[in-house]
Amino acid sequence: MNKLFMAAGLTMLMGTSAMAQQIGVSVARFDDNGLTVMRNGMTAHEEMLDGVSLQIEDATDDVAKQLDQINNFIASGVDAIIVNAVDTNATEAMSNAAAAAGVPLVYVNRQPVNMDTLPEGQAFVASNEIESGTLAAFQMCRQLRAEGKSGGATAYMLMGQLSNQAAVQRSKDFHDVIGMDMCNFITLIDEQTANWSRDEANDLMTNWISSGEPFDAVFGNNDEMALGAIQAMKAAGISMDDVVVGGVDATSDALLSMQAGEMDVTVFQDLAGQGAGSIDTAIALINGEEVDQTVFIPFKLVTPDNIGDFLQ
Amino acid sequence: MSDTSEGTGGLTYDKSKRQWPNELNVFAALILIVIIFEILGAIFMQQSLLFDSRDRFDSIFNEARLRIIIIQVAIIGIIAIGVTQVIITAGIDLSSGSVVGATAMIAMSFAQVAEVNGGPNPKAIFGDWALDLPVVVPVLVGLGVGMLAGIINGVLVAYSRIPPFIATLGMMLFARGVAQWWSLGNPVSFPTEGYAKIGAGMMPVIIFLSLAVLFHFIMNYTVYGKHTYAIGSNEAAARMSGINVPRHLVLVYLIAGGLAGLAAVILTSKNLTAQSGMGLSYELEAIAMAVIGGVSLFGGRGSIIGTVIGALIIGVITSGFTFLRLGAYYQEMVLGCIIVGAVALDQWQQKRAAARA
Repeated sequence: MNKLFMAAGLTMLMGTSAMAQQIGVSVARFDDNGLTVMRNGMTAHEEMLDGVSLQIEDATDDVAKQLDQINNFIASGVDAIIVNAVDTNATEAMSNAAAAAGVPLVYVNRQPVNMDTLPEGQAFVASNEIESGTLAAFQMCRQLRAEGKSGGATAYMLMGQLSNQAAVQRSKDFHDVIGMDMCNFITLIDEQTANWSRDEANDLMTNWISSGEPFDAVFGNNDEMALGAIQAMKAAGISMDDVVVGGVDATSDALLSMQAGEMDVTVFQDLAGQGAGSIDTAIALINGEEVDQTVFIPFKLVTPDNIGDFLQ
Repeated sequence: MSDTSEGTGGLTYDKSKRQWPNELNVFAALILIVIIFEILGAIFMQQSLLFDSRDRFDSIFNEARLRIIIIQVAIIGIIAIGVTQVIITAGIDLSSGSVVGATAMIAMSFAQVAEVNGGPNPKAIFGDWALDLPVVVPVLVGLGVGMLAGIINGVLVAYSRIPPFIATLGMMLFARGVAQWWSLGNPVSFPTEGYAKIGAGMMPVIIFLSLAVLFHFIMNYTVYGKHTYAIGSNEAAARMSGINVPRHLVLVYLIAGGLAGLAAVILTSKNLTAQSGMGLSYELEAIAMAVIGGVSLFGGRGSIIGTVIGALIIGVITSGFTFLRLGAYYQEMVLGCIIVGAVALDQWQQKRAAARA
């Protein structure tokens, strides 16, 4: 406890002794839900920190405008820049401009294309996409075990759009988890795409139910599809206590479904945490500290046990 | 080898030149596809597609599968009833999917419930005045938005002489923009109990089949129907015989828009949510149903019954693929081949029939 106080006192001391640090932030767009959560995380973190002042600008999804904003930040002498890229293929020019001026640059949420060649003093803060599907699948496996089904269980998987990286990754995560010794009691009956859509998932699940094959778990690559499956199962009179249903995103619809005892597992991408983490990383870079080039903000598992932390 | 017989009124007719109604051909294709799936199912799954091979039901059929085959095509089928009429006038409607998206968002905003799990509705779009409204409000809003889009399509096609493809392409982009702008991409969820009943269970099927029967009669036994076919067969002749072609076209597009609006209401009710991406590519599926059902894109030919059978064919194929557990990657490839194959077969039969006549 003493250590905590000392650390707190120390940061306050440092905060007051140093000049206020100016950080320029360019966000791809202000009207995007997820990015707004991230932006609010930044301003909340700014208020907690002493001596940090943010200037947040909206790039309105315009690549050229974003580069102008960065050059304006450099010209006005900010101490660091945080960029949520409009187009991740256009980050090379931003990296070059910041490196030439010697201003630290942090990319947040969207991975820059020049990740492998990022100059000194630049970093990327995001969540590791591999975690989301793995966390959900593993929790489902644990829950099936806890329900005494470790002798053998069957599952269906609803995949997102097959051309989408997140869908491919989360489906692979599920396969990886049920390939583990601890979870290989789970047999995948079938996997099909429902294109992230609740309606398609509802119809697909009803088709599966019509085959009469008994099943213990349904994994959706996102919450919407998991909710579609739940609606289909409820319509077919299947008790939601008998099936473990998992998704990814922790949307408010999914959280309320979990609260009602239907959905069992989902995963929360901590966008506010990404926003706060990008500021911490920028400050560390300003102070010349050693920073990993990629800073991962962990996904958070949501189950009925901790759902209270996520419901507003 | 013509075998002439005595017909009514002393007229003779040639039996060999008698044609089957086109719907019978489409129906035969449906039966053929079912048989193919039954054979593949018996070989690879040791199960039956339509019959109860596991003794789960009291009847001889797998009722759960029969139901889902129709449920999954009912909502797009409602759109296809309108699209069929548009195509019969030699037009096309590319906007129906996006109109579903826009209507879904707008109608659902008037169908929201005040309380969810004991707390306030986290997705409420408007203030308290728009919560817990009677069901009739969102339904009328949905129909209204759909019909408004339809009127705009119709006026553009009929009076400004913009080709239907372009006019409805414009509406397709515009309506999708409206859907995304309405709540800035946020889903609109949690409808009232009354609204949730509209699309629950077999309701989409009941509404689809009722509308099909209604429009079958309208198309065959009313002036509206005769005029629609007349315009599609020969627009100049229709005009010269005194049909107010522009006014009739607006009416046709208005009906198509209204049906798309109704489909959006049922879709949001069934899913208990509205999302800006809803209805994506529904216009193409609706056109596919009509075309598989024998509706000619050149106009003047086709029927509501044909479109309903076309919808059932898509439903059987979708359920059949899942039944056979065909890999997700292959499903769309096979579906594409079937649609082109169906139309090619239809064209070939038309040619053969024309050559015989």
